[in-house]
Amino acid sequence: MSQFFTQYFNFDVMGEHFGEVFVGFLQNLLVFAVAAVLALTWGLVLALLRQLPGKKLMPIRFVTIAYIDFFRAVPILIIILMISGGVPFLSFLPQEVRIPHWFGRPDPFWYGVAALVIVYGAFTAEVYRAGIEAVPKGQMEAARSLGMSHFQAMRHVVVPQGVTKIPAPMLNELISLLKDTTLISVIALSESVLVSREVLSERLNSSSLTLTAIFFVIIILPLARVVDKLIARQQLKITRGSHLEVA
Amino acid sequence: MADSMLSLKGIHKRFGNLEVLKGVDIEIGRGEVVCILGPSGSGKSTLLRCVNLLEPPEEGEIFVEGNDICKGPGSGTGEQSWELNFVRQRVGIVFQQFNLFSHKTALENVTLAQERVLGRSKAEARAKATELLERVGLGDQLGQYPETLSGGQQQRVAIARALAMEPHVMLFDEVTSALDPELVKEVLDTMRELAEEGMTMMVVTHEIGFAREVADRVIFMDGGVIVEEGPPAEVLENPKEERTKQFLGLVLDR
Repeated sequence: MSQFFTQYFNFDVMGEHFGEVFVGFLQNLLVFAVAAVLALTWGLVLALLRQLPGKKLMPIRFVTIAYIDFFRAVPILIIILMISGGVPFLSFLPQEVRIPHWFGRPDPFWYGVAALVIVYGAFTAEVYRAGIEAVPKGQMEAARSLGMSHFQAMRHVVVPQGVTKIPAPMLNELISLLKDTTLISVIALSESVLVSREVLSERLNSSSLTLTAIFFVIIILPLARVVDKLIARQQLKITRGSHLEVA
Repeated sequence: MADSMLSLKGIHKRFGNLEVLKGVDIEIGRGEVVCILGPSGSGKSTLLRCVNLLEPPEEGEIFVEGNDICKGPGSGTGEQSWELNFVRQRVGIVFQQFNLFSHKTALENVTLAQERVLGRSKAEARAKATELLERVGLGDQLGQYPETLSGGQQQRVAIARALAMEPHVMLFDEVTSALDPELVKEVLDTMRELAEEGMTMMVVTHEIGFAREVADRVIFMDGGVIVEEGPPAEVLENPKEERTKQFLGLVLDR
């Protein structure tokens, strides 16, 4: 049993490598922050494209749905490997896109961000869609009958109401996104898991991975509680508002 | 009619296999108030929604102030072939379920489209909205959100919201049907005032009393066609058609 504890909970190893692992974890947070902002934006764009009206725009809706279905089905790891292993060889792209070093970040950082945004854009699009479709149809009709365009009605009436219905599921997506930033370790971004594995192979001890896990738990547990609170609040609103919906 | 406001010719509308409107012709002159009565499923709400193109008809012609709002051939193939903007700027509609924007205050409900569609400044839109909300008796509720307003108040905000766009015709789609009985009067009074000011109105309603008092003409619809039409005194007191008699018998006996 003590062998188990020394293997996974060796405080000397944790202490000695705390600094490196922590700096690695900051990388995860940075990837998360950039990818989250972009994925939330891209997801909204996809959700809006999916809701375009009329027969003429059918092809756009179709392509959007195909995109969302495809990237929700494919493992992110494959996308990460395909981008990092493929984009550098696409010689028709400019150098700074093939091997991006924007804002002083290394290319694996940007390949990872790109993969996460591509995939999580599809997931968040579905969450936005749920919110948009939860807004009563009469809202769009009222806006259109006042002369607003489809886009104006979406922007000023439907989306502002839709997003108030989805903070809980959206936060769940963001939690997943934060955890999936560790996948970028496979393309040699020095984030917390990669650093921990280096410690593992050097010391033959897993405690640095435990430390990484603790970092994630510390950040994510409170968020999970926030999700619970949001869901409870939403339920309350639904129960309280039920008689109003009928009236 | 010398001054035609709205002219519908041979309107057909299908939902799948169900033919809801089977050729409806209506002429409405400027300033005229027309009430449309009929049992549920007779197509009267659909007819209103056809007029402002929320449900573009498959067949038929619609003229608003003499302008054909169908853009050339291929009518009814979809929203795109209709003069949407022309219609929406001239035809206002009030719905049974109010459909107020629930994330906006009463005032913002009335200013939003003024600013975004008509390009009015914030101050202009606000002034207009305040004036209209005062006119419908809600001058003290400007900052309230729809959920804190009664059904009757919400419906009056909805009327003010439609009027803010300065429509030439107003459509009312069973606007009192979702209201508690004691709130019906305040909405009908607002509509009555509007009629007295000379607004052209097309009113789908179950309020026979309102039709009798306010309407210039009553149209009775059933099964997607017009069964009978004429002045309220004639249609409501001495209906010629059997279907009209039956319906009025049921409604008035209540």
